[in-house]
Amino acid sequence: MLKNQLPYFIVLAITILIGCSSEQEPGPSTSANSSSSSATASKGTIAYSALNLTNPFFGIIGDNLTTAAETAGFDAVVDDAKGDVKTQVEQIESYISRGVAAIVISPRDRLSINPAIEKSHEAGIPVFTTDLMSVVPVKGSEGEDGEPTYEPNPLVVGHVGTDNRQGGVLAGTAMVEVLGETGGKVFILDYPSANSCVLRVEGFMEVINQHNEGRETGQIEIVGKQDGNGDMNVGYEVTAAAIQSNQDLAAIFAINDPSALGGITALTEAGKADQVTVIAFDGQIEGKQAIKDGKIYADPIQFPDQMGRLVVQKIQKYMNGEEFDTITLIPTVLYTKADADNDPELK
Amino acid sequence: MSYRLPKIKHLSEYGTFFVLILLCIYFSVRTFEEKHPADASAGRSLAETIAQTSLPGKSVAIIARQSDEAFANALQETLEGANVRVAGVFLGQPIGVRQALRDFSKNVDQIDLIATHRGVSQSWGVLSEETLTTIKADISALENVEIRVPQSYHWPTFLENTNILSVLKQMSVTAIIAIGMTMVIITAGIDLSVGSLIALSSILVAWSIELLGGAEASISELVLAATSAVLGCALLGLFSATMITRFGVPAFIVTLGVMEISRGLAYKIRGGPSPYRIDSESFHELANGSLVWGIPNPVIIMILLYAAAYFLMTHTALGRYIYAVGGNAEAARLSGIPVKRVLLFVYIICAALAGLGGVMNASLFSVGDATSGRGYELLIIAAVVVGGTSLMGGEGKMLGTLLGALILAVIRNGMYLTNVDTFTQMIVFGALILAAVLLDQLKNRTWRKHSGPNSSAV
Repeated sequence: MLKNQLPYFIVLAITILIGCSSEQEPGPSTSANSSSSSATASKGTIAYSALNLTNPFFGIIGDNLTTAAETAGFDAVVDDAKGDVKTQVEQIESYISRGVAAIVISPRDRLSINPAIEKSHEAGIPVFTTDLMSVVPVKGSEGEDGEPTYEPNPLVVGHVGTDNRQGGVLAGTAMVEVLGETGGKVFILDYPSANSCVLRVEGFMEVINQHNEGRETGQIEIVGKQDGNGDMNVGYEVTAAAIQSNQDLAAIFAINDPSALGGITALTEAGKADQVTVIAFDGQIEGKQAIKDGKIYADPIQFPDQMGRLVVQKIQKYMNGEEFDTITLIPTVLYTKADADNDPELK
Repeated sequence: MSYRLPKIKHLSEYGTFFVLILLCIYFSVRTFEEKHPADASAGRSLAETIAQTSLPGKSVAIIARQSDEAFANALQETLEGANVRVAGVFLGQPIGVRQALRDFSKNVDQIDLIATHRGVSQSWGVLSEETLTTIKADISALENVEIRVPQSYHWPTFLENTNILSVLKQMSVTAIIAIGMTMVIITAGIDLSVGSLIALSSILVAWSIELLGGAEASISELVLAATSAVLGCALLGLFSATMITRFGVPAFIVTLGVMEISRGLAYKIRGGPSPYRIDSESFHELANGSLVWGIPNPVIIMILLYAAAYFLMTHTALGRYIYAVGGNAEAARLSGIPVKRVLLFVYIICAALAGLGGVMNASLFSVGDATSGRGYELLIIAAVVVGGTSLMGGEGKMLGTLLGALILAVIRNGMYLTNVDTFTQMIVFGALILAAVLLDQLKNRTWRKHSGPNSSAV
């Protein structure tokens, strides 16, 4: 009997082992094992749990973080949380088991991540965040609706992110510039489960409301705000429905490039690409290309490369016992067709 | 030939177990690395080494992280017990080190040693050679200071106590739901709604806790909130089972519908995708505390539920009915087994366990999250299949499912520890599931060959 069965178990076992041993290819993740085997004076490992590596934004943070960490004498590890809190927590717990020197997180959620941050803190490992900030409710600040105000989580040693509200203001200013005195109907593709995107819409609305104040004609009217999930497919569906119900739509504000690109597909399909102006956010390469091609009017762009580098800088300063700003918000810059035409990265 | 049958059946279990052991050995070898102890015993042994090797009258500064209190206390006590002077103890962040050393130097003429552990000495730039040189120039008492750390040793990271416990804790939610899924699959059914039920249940429990007073809710109110979330999910299980048994709609379709309905309900109740914060500290303890021997509560709940399920499946009439319904529903009906009631039972249990999983998830993160549990149904089904339960129904074992869930959890953890990239991880998981199903097929084939056509019923 054993003869008949054993080969299959071996096949199974080998499948698994082959899969597991095929790592350590050149790439953003560098093995922490090397730190112990070689006698070089590594300062330990900086481990980064990225929100979602299929989004190039986090890939850029990871790559720059890795390079900066290695230059500073640390090893680096980059993991993909695949947009799932539980996966992210598992990764953080594995960092704690390994005893890394510092943990960097781009949290999936600003609240759900807190127990994991607390655990790292208890294990003596400093936690830094990039992109999304972890927050805690201010005690006794609950308003009428039971929603408290939030403050940055004090257990997080340092944060580097984008000034999303300022970015929203830039997008709003660009929108006012496009629609000008005539005004028009605007549709918003938002993503309320990401707080960064909520801030973008807030900044955007601030400018629009200012524009509309006391104005009889030429108002900018927000005709709808729907969850585009920050993703191309949903952005496409939601926009397709929005142009059905608003034939005279003048513009769309999308909180990131993927959902904007989905929206543009819907606009092109309906033959309205020329009639509707799209303003997006991010400055991913596809978004920049769309700006060059005239499909997107402008993007407030973020700087993920700086985020990766700055967070390592903070870690270094922390370790060296130097003073540093706990929170760094990198302002966005408005990127228009003129910039895209001079961008050597684009076709 | 029949005397050989038990052997084959056991072998399939040993096989899963064998794979698990193999994996554990593999990952232990791969993660065998230098460890830098920072616990109380490391503190004591460092103090003993210092006491033995240094001349009398020397003084020591202890520098460590806030979390290293046990290490620092043991170090200090042992040093003082051996009459070595402790100039001061600093527990904190690197930024405080300079000032602390300056303060300590006021207590003594000279600080000869800085006692810390490797995690600090290797990462804290403030204790690096060059920075230390500038500090020495600054503070004369530190002129001849040297850094001492406890002896390092080699041990697999995978086998660290904390790692094993966190793997068990991480798998507990999926493993608990896999109990219900195993029963459903043994009846030749499937339940795709469990992932969404996790989300619904987490929202329901967060909502109920808020209604019952939030942070001030008493234990009994928390139990009430959790029970109502579990019951809410069980109701949806009852709905699925009714659709399946009364109207003959395939389980795949029914539970697909319920999957959408329950996630939609979760969003509706919350009014959007933003998470529902849970203030109650006691509720947080449910999944994060440990009542017995330092074993996390979710692990205890998991073990108890598996013991109960094992008993149910092997020692009760209901257990035998579940197998019989999956083996051949018609034959089971003709032999007087209440097939419909058995089906009702398994779907309700499966949904209720998904509800329990949602409550535990909510407790783990202290939020109810309508976006949570996405894709868990597939993870759970994978654990059941890897554990040797046949999707054709009629056979499967609770122990096998537990082993299956363990195998998946160990591989996940091992791949994190050895830095396997995400995309390789996906390929490994896919291959593992295929290998498990292939094994199942081949096992059936060999079995039939040896046992003849008459013994196909389980």
